[in-house]
Amino acid sequence: MEGGADAFGSSTAPLAWHDFLERMRQPSASEFVKAIKGFIVTFSNRAPDPEKDSAAVQEFLQNMEGAFRSHTPWAGSSEEELESAGEGLEKYIMTKLYNRVFASVPEDVRSDEELFEKMSLLQQFIHPENLDIKPEYQNETSWLLAQKELQKINMYKAPRDKLACILNCCKVINNLLMNASHMSNDDAHGADEFLPVLIYVTLKANPPQLHSNLLYIQRYRSQSRLVSEAQYFFTNILSAESFIWNIDAESLSMDERDFQKKMDLARERLLGLSAGSENQDSETNLVVREHSSQTMKGSGSSDVNLSLKDHVQGPVQDKRRESDVSSKSVERVQSISDLEKKGATELLKDDDLSKIFQDYPFLFARAGDLTVADVDTLLNSYKQLVLRYVALSQGMGITPETPFVQSTQTASDLQISEEPENVKNVVNSCESSEESNKASEEIKNEITESEVGNVSTTRAAVDPSERTLQDESSDQPEHA
Amino acid sequence: MGCSSSLPASNAGGIGNINNDNSATDSKNLKLKLVLLGDSGVGKSCIVLRFVRGQFDPTSKVTVGASFLSQVLALEDSTTVKFEIWDTAGQERYAALAPLYYRGAGAAIVVYDITSEESLNKAQYWVKELQKHGSQDMIMALVGNKADLHEKRTVSSQDAQEYADRNNMFFVETSAKTADNINQLFEEIAKRLPRPTPPS
Repeated sequence: MEGGADAFGSSTAPLAWHDFLERMRQPSASEFVKAIKGFIVTFSNRAPDPEKDSAAVQEFLQNMEGAFRSHTPWAGSSEEELESAGEGLEKYIMTKLYNRVFASVPEDVRSDEELFEKMSLLQQFIHPENLDIKPEYQNETSWLLAQKELQKINMYKAPRDKLACILNCCKVINNLLMNASHMSNDDAHGADEFLPVLIYVTLKANPPQLHSNLLYIQRYRSQSRLVSEAQYFFTNILSAESFIWNIDAESLSMDERDFQKKMDLARERLLGLSAGSENQDSETNLVVREHSSQTMKGSGSSDVNLSLKDHVQGPVQDKRRESDVSSKSVERVQSISDLEKKGATELLKDDDLSKIFQDYPFLFARAGDLTVADVDTLLNSYKQLVLRYVALSQGMGITPETPFVQSTQTASDLQISEEPENVKNVVNSCESSEESNKASEEIKNEITESEVGNVSTTRAAVDPSERTLQDESSDQPEHA
Repeated sequence: MGCSSSLPASNAGGIGNINNDNSATDSKNLKLKLVLLGDSGVGKSCIVLRFVRGQFDPTSKVTVGASFLSQVLALEDSTTVKFEIWDTAGQERYAALAPLYYRGAGAAIVVYDITSEESLNKAQYWVKELQKHGSQDMIMALVGNKADLHEKRTVSSQDAQEYADRNNMFFVETSAKTADNINQLFEEIAKRLPRPTPPS
C-alpha cells in the first residue's frame, strides 16, 4: 500500500492535541475561544437536524481554519502546524457536541438497532464462500485482528479517531491479504479480494451503532480531510454497510428457503429460546471448532475447547441486547476473567506450584538471563499462546482483546494506529496520576472526562477483565 | 489473479513515472480520481500494479495490495498528473455498490478479458451504467486485457474498437503480463484531461 500517511500524515498524535489546547489558553487566543464557545452554545440550543448540523459544523471548521492562518497564536505557523490546529479544533468541537449530534434522531437509532440485529443473525451462519472469498484468502483466526480494530470505534468521540479505527481495520485486512497472496504465489490482490473480506469482518465484528458511526464520520469529519486513501476505504465500509442492509438469499448465493431457515434459527438462538441449540451448532462455530482443534493438536486439551463451545457469539458481544436474552443463556456464559479467577484460586490452593510451572521455563526469567538461542523457542511459545488464546476466545464467543496484537507482524505495519492508541494512553495516565500538571485544566479536564465517559457500556463491561489480561501478559512479549 | 505468473517486464514503467508526493493542485499539477470497473478476474488490479510498480526492479518480488493506489505521471508538456486509482469489486453480487465508487471520478477504465466474451458483455453493462449515472465529462477507456493470450482470443479487437468509437471512448488492448500499452493507457487518459483544472 502506498500513501498510508496521506490521510493522517500531518496531524501527529497527542502532542499536536496538547499543543492545540496549550495555544488556546494563550491570551491571544481569547477571541478564538470565545468564537468556539459561542458556536457550541448556539449549536447545542438548536433542535437536532443532521443536514443543517453537518453544514454548520463544516462551515465553522472551515472558517476557523482560515482565521487560524492569519491570527496569533497561529500566524506564521507552518502548514503542518496549521493542519494539526485544524485537527485539534475538529476534535475539540466534536467531543463537545458528541452527545448532541451522535445518533441524535430516532431514525438513526432505529437503523442502528436494525442493522445490529441483522448482523447478529447473519454472522451466525455466513460463510466466506457466500461472499466470493477464495479459499486461499480465508483465514478466520487472523480476521479477528481486523474485527478487533473495527470494534474500537465506539471508544472514541472525535470523527478522526473513529475513522482511524476503520482504516486500521482495512490495513490489517490488506496485510493479511498480502501475506496470503504471497503464500499462494499470487502477487496482487485488489478490490475483488478486499471488499468481500471487509464485509465479512464487519459482519463478524458487528460494532454497536455502526450506522450512526458512519453517518457521524460522513457528516462531521472535515471535508477537506476525508479525501484520497481515507476516502477510498471509508467508501468501502459504506458499501459494506449498504451490502449488508440488502443481504438476501440471492446476494449470498443461497437457496431462499435455506436462507430463511438459517435466519430463523439464528434468531431463536439469539433470543436463547432454542433449547436444542447446543446440538445444532451453527456452521460458523463448527468451522471455528475445527480450526481450534487443529491449532491445539498435540496439546491434548482439545476437549476443553468442546466443552466451551456452546456459547454463541450474540449474548456476550451485545450487552445492549441482554434484556432480550433469557437469563438462562446469560448465566451459561462465563467470561474469560471469571474462568481466570477460578483457575487462579485453584492454583493458589495447590501445594506444589513450581511443579505446575516447570513446563514454562521462561515464566520467571529476566531479560538478562536470555540467550539468543532462546528467541526461537520463545517466539514459538508465543505464537502457540496467541493461537490458543484467540481460538479459545472465539470458541467461547468472546472477542479476544489482547496485547498480543501489538507485537504481531501485521500490527507493526500500522503507522496510523498511533493516534487512537496514544489517545487512550494519554487518557488513562491523566486519569490515574496527577503528573500532567501543566495541562490546561479547564479545557483538558472536560475533554478527558468526556472521552473516558464515552467508552460505551459494552466496553465498560468487558474492560476490567481485559486489563488484568493485559497487565499479566504484556511483559512477556517485551522481554522476549 | 495471476499477474504473478507474468514474465518480469523489462522497463515496464517507462521513464515518465516519478514517485513524487506533491499534492498541490494547480494548472501544472493535476489530480485525478480514476475508477476501475470490470468483471472479477479480468486483471483490473494487475493493470494498475503494472503501472504503479513499473519503475521498480522487476526481479524483486514485492507483494502489494492494489485496491487503492496513487501514482504521479509526468507528461512531456511538463504537467504532472496524480492518479488516485479506485478499484472496485467485480463480482456480480457487488455490482450495485459501484455508484459509491465512481461518484466524483474524472475517469473510468472499463476492463474486459480478450479471451472472454462474457467479460465484454459485463464491460458493456458498466459503460451503460456510467453513461446513465456517471458525470458527463468523465473520460472513459475501454481496455481489453490479457492481449498476450492472443491464441485464446474470442473478442476481436475490431469489434471492441467499433463499440468504443460508438460510445465515445478510447480503446486499447493491454497486457499486464508483458506491460504492453500499460503506460500508454494512463498517458492517454492524462492527455485527455481538461486543463487547467481548478483545484478541487
